[in-house]
Amino acid sequence: MSENISIRVSLKKYSLDSVRYAAHSLGGLVYAFIKPLPGGKVLVELSPKPGTTAAKAAGCARLFRGELEDEKLRERVSSGNRELREFLLLKAMNYQPKPPEKDDSGLTPQQEKELNDLIAQIEGEIKAEAAKGASADPLGITSTWEDKYDPKNGRKKIR
Amino acid sequence: MKPGMKTEPVFLSGEIYCEEAVKLAAAVFEGRAKVRVIKAAGGVKAEISGGENITREFCGEVLNQQCRIDLSRKNYKIASLIATKALLSAAGEKTAK
Amino acid sequence: MTPKTAAKRSAKPRSAGLPYFTFRRMADGSVLLSNDAGRTAAVSGKDFARFSAGRLGSGEPLYAELAAKGFVREMTDFEGYAAACSKKNAFLGAGPGLHILVMTLRCNHKCLYCQSGALGAGGRGTDMSRAVARKSVDFALKSTNPGITIEFQGGEPLLNWDTLKDSVLYARGRGRELGREVRLALVSNFSLMTEEKARFLVENEVSVCTSLDGPADLHNKNRTFSGGNSHAHTARWLKYFIGRAAKQVPEYRTFTPSALLTVSRYSLGREKDIVDEYLRQGLADIFVRPLAPIGYAKKLWPRIGYSSEEFARFYRNSLDYIIKLNAAGKKIRERHAVIMLEKIVNGGDPGYLDMRCPCGAAIGQVAYNYNGDLYACDEGRMVGWEGDDLFRIGNVLRDSYRKVMLAPASRACAAASSLESQPQCSRCVYKPWCGVCPVYNYETQGSLWGDMPSSGRCALSLGMFDALFGLLKKPASAKILKEWVQK
Repeated sequence: MSENISIRVSLKKYSLDSVRYAAHSLGGLVYAFIKPLPGGKVLVELSPKPGTTAAKAAGCARLFRGELEDEKLRERVSSGNRELREFLLLKAMNYQPKPPEKDDSGLTPQQEKELNDLIAQIEGEIKAEAAKGASADPLGITSTWEDKYDPKNGRKKIR
Repeated sequence: MKPGMKTEPVFLSGEIYCEEAVKLAAAVFEGRAKVRVIKAAGGVKAEISGGENITREFCGEVLNQQCRIDLSRKNYKIASLIATKALLSAAGEKTAK
Repeated sequence: MTPKTAAKRSAKPRSAGLPYFTFRRMADGSVLLSNDAGRTAAVSGKDFARFSAGRLGSGEPLYAELAAKGFVREMTDFEGYAAACSKKNAFLGAGPGLHILVMTLRCNHKCLYCQSGALGAGGRGTDMSRAVARKSVDFALKSTNPGITIEFQGGEPLLNWDTLKDSVLYARGRGRELGREVRLALVSNFSLMTEEKARFLVENEVSVCTSLDGPADLHNKNRTFSGGNSHAHTARWLKYFIGRAAKQVPEYRTFTPSALLTVSRYSLGREKDIVDEYLRQGLADIFVRPLAPIGYAKKLWPRIGYSSEEFARFYRNSLDYIIKLNAAGKKIRERHAVIMLEKIVNGGDPGYLDMRCPCGAAIGQVAYNYNGDLYACDEGRMVGWEGDDLFRIGNVLRDSYRKVMLAPASRACAAASSLESQPQCSRCVYKPWCGVCPVYNYETQGSLWGDMPSSGRCALSLGMFDALFGLLKKPASAKILKEWVQK
């Protein structure tokens, strides 16, 4: 079996919870044990489990350090969002989809008809213009922003 | 004691592990090892009798229980919200909004 | 989900608080993120460092992507987020949909990996009576779930044909009277199937599911049948049911049969043979399932078991081959991937009880033993058969539906399988789609909660998710996988 690994961790830099979780997360590879040390530190002892290859065991200290950093982030993310998560999950549990909004234009049937006729008339005119080939792009839709507003072109941006 | 079984004492500091975590781990190990939990100054002493690596495995379980206790303190609202909703819905009762 | 408003954007990096998310550093150096709404994002290690330090500029495309998926708190559309959470967790309000009736504990097979502790075909006193079966159907119909499935299992359920037949007719009749949707399913090794039984099942809209472990040599090695060639029976009746499903008639719906693959040590390295066998049998789905070291399989684990790494390799090789076949125009899907993709891609709940939070024990399924004893799940029943009734939640003849649903074992399973209470799971990126099994934990680690970092099941799940997300990163395989669950 590979040698045991001992890692000192300052509790000023990492919380005890983070140290515990980081050590726990390596439980598939190592047995973990934590002891307090003077000066606000802890000693994390990792001993490879039977079946853990020497190569994997050798990487455990690095893995632990990485986990510790990640735990610090997880702790920040969890504690900063706990109440919001509780609220959102409660909202999700009782979620009722909003009924679809009624299609109410506020127009009378006569006004609706007049508007539809107007739209049809404009569409017809556009089609006729296009058929004549009078202008491929009368509104300048295809021109770029620079073409239209670049000061070098002598045109000002319309606000 | 069965052949191959040995008793190993281990001190679990109260600064790292709470007594509840040690007791829960001892309960998990019932049938697999003999565990005696004794209060000691600054923590708990556990005497574990069992096969190869049993003390290390036990300490791993204590850490698992400790993490669970820490987590349930933080997440109990969310966890109980989900479990309660599922159980009461299955039982045909409406959950409180 | 859309960002709340684009007007708030500025090109400066934002250091405001991060929203809730979980993450996993992948083997290729990228970092996968997920959140409670089940949204995911894969980012490079460098970008993740910038994101988590709040240094991602709001003018960057990645910022817009993360914002749209709910990974930027001040840009989150909370209404959409809650809607996605609600859709994903709709099962929480449903109640038990799966009702497993154990017709008998007898079986004429002696499969190497059997967990059910089945007795020989000649065993006595373990057949479900008609009275218990009818009570079980009535109990199932009390479920709050609007659409229930009654699944007839064993042992080999065809060994108790009279009760099975009576239960089918009774369930159909009661379903009609109550105006309830009742799906009926049979899990059988087909060795006792006859033309008459098959016709009855088809005419009563009973879907059938069997086991197919691969080509004949492999199947028969895993599934010992003293009465002859197990594979030949399976193949014969698969052909029959597939043929019937192809010729739909107006009087009733006929279902395509399905098959389950259980991977033993003997299956390792034979991925292509197995998938090809499924194609040969005309099956459109293959369900690659790992062995669990519980029940009879626990005793034989050194012979038939394998490590989680070995299974992950098998699963990955199988998926790669299936995708290759799909790319060549052959239609076959891997069922586990389909289930997970339904969750990951569509944000839905495909009703898979093993991967839920909480798990399906009692709140999603009930197992009815031959004698009327009720268990939180079928695996829990098997533990009961070994003499430990921890997962027993009542008896169909004595206990009320409500009492059963709120039984101590039902509550314990719901609490123990809550991923929010699991140290490892609560911080896992795969949490939105995963689940733990209290029975597996109890059998392998001595407690309902278990210890995930050293759990074989957790390692298997991680391997399967890693394989799936690895394929989802590649456009060609992602296209095929997404087509599998296209609505």
